[in-house]
Amino acid sequence: MPSNTAIQVHHIAKSYGSFQAVRDLTFDVYAGEIFAMLGPNGAGKSTTIRMILDILKPDSGSIAVLGGALNDATKNRIGYLPEERGLYRGVPVVEVMTYLATLKGLSSAEARKRSLAYLEKLELSAFARKKVSDLSKGMQQKVQFAVTLLHDPALIIIDEPFSGLDPVNTLVIEDMIKAFRDQGGAVVMSTHQMYQVEYLADRLVMINKGEQALYGQVDEVRARYALPAVIVEGVGDWASVPGVERIEAEDGGRGTLMFLEAHTQPEQVLSALAGRPDIQLRRFELAVPRLNDIFIQVVEQGRNGTTA
Amino acid sequence: MNKAWRIARREFASNIIKPSFLFGAFGVPLIIIVIMVVVIALAAESQENLDRVGDVGYVDQSGVLADAAARPETFLAFQDAEAARAALEAQRIGAYFVLEPNYVQTGTVRLVSRTSAPDALKDEIDAFLIANLARDLDPEQVERLIDPIDESILTLDSGRQLSGAAFVGLFIVPFIFVFVFLLASQTTSGYLMSGVVEEKNSRIMEILVTTVTPFQLMFGKIIGLGALGLVQLIVWLAAGYLVTTLGQGTPVLAGVTIPPDLLAIGIVYFILGYFLMAGIMAGIGAVVGSEQESRQYAGLFTLPFSIPFFLIVSFFTDPDGPIVTFLCLFPFTSPVSVIMRSAFSAMPPELLALSMTILLITTLVVIWLSSRIFRWGLLLYGKRPSLGQIVRAVRRRSSSMATTAAAPVEAGGR
Repeated sequence: MPSNTAIQVHHIAKSYGSFQAVRDLTFDVYAGEIFAMLGPNGAGKSTTIRMILDILKPDSGSIAVLGGALNDATKNRIGYLPEERGLYRGVPVVEVMTYLATLKGLSSAEARKRSLAYLEKLELSAFARKKVSDLSKGMQQKVQFAVTLLHDPALIIIDEPFSGLDPVNTLVIEDMIKAFRDQGGAVVMSTHQMYQVEYLADRLVMINKGEQALYGQVDEVRARYALPAVIVEGVGDWASVPGVERIEAEDGGRGTLMFLEAHTQPEQVLSALAGRPDIQLRRFELAVPRLNDIFIQVVEQGRNGTTA
Repeated sequence: MNKAWRIARREFASNIIKPSFLFGAFGVPLIIIVIMVVVIALAAESQENLDRVGDVGYVDQSGVLADAAARPETFLAFQDAEAARAALEAQRIGAYFVLEPNYVQTGTVRLVSRTSAPDALKDEIDAFLIANLARDLDPEQVERLIDPIDESILTLDSGRQLSGAAFVGLFIVPFIFVFVFLLASQTTSGYLMSGVVEEKNSRIMEILVTTVTPFQLMFGKIIGLGALGLVQLIVWLAAGYLVTTLGQGTPVLAGVTIPPDLLAIGIVYFILGYFLMAGIMAGIGAVVGSEQESRQYAGLFTLPFSIPFFLIVSFFTDPDGPIVTFLCLFPFTSPVSVIMRSAFSAMPPELLALSMTILLITTLVVIWLSSRIFRWGLLLYGKRPSLGQIVRAVRRRSSSMATTAAAPVEAGGR
C-alpha cells in the first residue's frame, strides 16, 4: 500500500440478516485529500464508516487503515465526528474535551492546553468552564469538531459535518477542514450537501444500494457526465448559431442552455458567437452538470435496474 | 490498559462529587456518629446530674443501715426525717431517702429530692442497700447476687466466643458490612449502569468505541467505580471504629472490637461481590434503552444479594443447616451470607474456600459474558434486544460484533 494511502477498502461486504447493506465496495483514501462519501439514505455509508472504524466487521473483504488493522496506536491517530452527536451534558466544556483527548493518548496537561487553544480559535473561550448543556447546538457542534482534531490525527472521518450550522460557522469549519487537508491530513466526509462536495472535495465515492456507483476525482466525475451543451448569457438569437441543435432555459439560472449538434465543439460555438455583432455575450461556460443532478441521475438509474 | 486507567480515573472523579454518593458515604455515618455522641453526652449528663445532687442524706428507721457497710462518701446519715428535711432546705444536701420501719417487708423507700432524681442516684442507692441487706454473705456471693449471669455463648463447631459485649460487636460488624456492601455496590454499580446508558443516549459512545475497546471501557468503569465503593467502605469502617472507640464508655459498646478475621473476610467478599454485581450492571446498561428501564432490571438482579438478610433467623438458629450452607455457597447470596455466618461462628475453612472459589469463578464468568454483551450492545439505541439475540451475541466469535444489532441502528438512524 502506498505510503500516502490512509484507507484501503478492498471488496468489502456486509449484510444484516437477509438485508445486504454493503456489497463489494472498493476504494482508497489518500493523505492530503478531502474524500467525499455520497449516497442516498440507506445506501450503506454509515455501515461502511463503521467498518472502517472497526465498530463492525465486514463479512468479507479487507480494510486497512493507516497501514493495517486498527489497534490502540492507530486509533489514536483517527478523529471521528459521528452523524448523531453528543457530549457529556453536565460537564464543563474544557473538561469533556480534555478527557476525550487524553483517551486519544495526550497527557492531561497537553490535552487541556490544546482544548483551550481550540476554544480560542472557535471563539468559545468564554464557554470553557460552562457546562456543555449551556451551549447552543451550533456551539456544541463546533466543540465536537474540535474534539475530532484535538489529538492531531492523521485521518478524520466526519459524518455530515455541517448539519445544523449557520453560514458563518460553516465557513469556520470548512476552513479548518481545508487547513487539515493542506497539512497532509486525510479527510473522509460523508454528506448530502452536494455543493459543498463540489468545491471542498478532491475525490469522491458515491454508494448506491451498497455498491460503488461513482468513484474518482470530483472534476473528472462531473466531466464524465458533461452534456454536449454550453451555457450562454446575454442578448441575441441563440438558436440561430450554427451547430446548435436546440436551446433551453438554464435550470435555475438566467442563462440559456445550447445543445450542440454531434461533432460540434464548444470552441467552434464560441468563435461563431464572437463573430456575430447582433449578439452580446456576457457569459459562456461548459454545461458541467451539478453533482446534485448526477446524484439524482445515478439513483434514478439504480432504481430502474441499470448501473451508472 | 492506559486508556482503561484514564476511564477509571474519570469515573472515580466525576462520581465522587455526586451528592447521592457524598450522602451515602459521609452523610449517613456522620449522622450515626452524631447520634452516638448525643447518647454519650446524655450518659455523661446523667453522671453530671449525680454530681450536681451533691451529698445525699438517709434516714434509717428499719435498722438495715445501722452500722452501714460500703457507704458511698456522699451519703450522710440523719437521725430523723425532720433533720434531713432541714438539711435539704438549707441546701446542705441535694436529696435524702427514708427507709420505713417495715422496709424489709415492703421495700418502700421514700426519696425526697430538690430536683428530679437521676437514674444514677437510684443505681447508687440500690447498690448501697443490697450491700447492707447481704452483709452476712461474702463479697463474691454479693457480687453474684448483683450480677448472676455473665453470659458466654460458646458455639459448638469452632468455639468462637460470643460473650457479653463481644456479642454486640459481632452483630454490629457484619451488620455494617452487609449494609455498606449493599449500599456501596448498588450505588456504584448503579452509577456504572446509568453512565453507560447516558453515553449511549448522548451518542458519545460512538466516539468512545472508536477510541477504546469495549473491554477497556467496561474494565475502566468497573475499577473506577469499585474504588469509589471501597472509599465508601473505608469511610464506614473508620466511622465504625470511631463509634466503637467513642462508645467504650457506654455500657452497650464497652469491650466491642472488630475481629480481624471477620474484617478480612468482609473485605474479600465485598470486593468479589462488588465485581459480580458491577459485571451484571455493565451488561444490563449495555442492552437496555433507557435509564428508567435499567433501574427495573437492576432491582431484579440485585434482589438475590439481599435475600440472606431476610433469612437472618436461620443464621441464629441453624448456622450449619442446609439453608445457610446453600446461601453461603450460592454466588449471588454468598457475599452477604458468609459475612453474617462468619460473625456468628467461624466457618469451616473448606466451606469458606469452596464458597470463595464458586464466587470467584462466577464473577469471572459474569464479567466475561458481560464484556461480550457490552461490546455488542453499546451501539444499540432505543431498542432492547431479545433474549435470543443476547445469547447469540455471547456465542459469537469475539471478533465479529453487532451483526444483528446494527441493523435496527442503520434503519432507525436515518
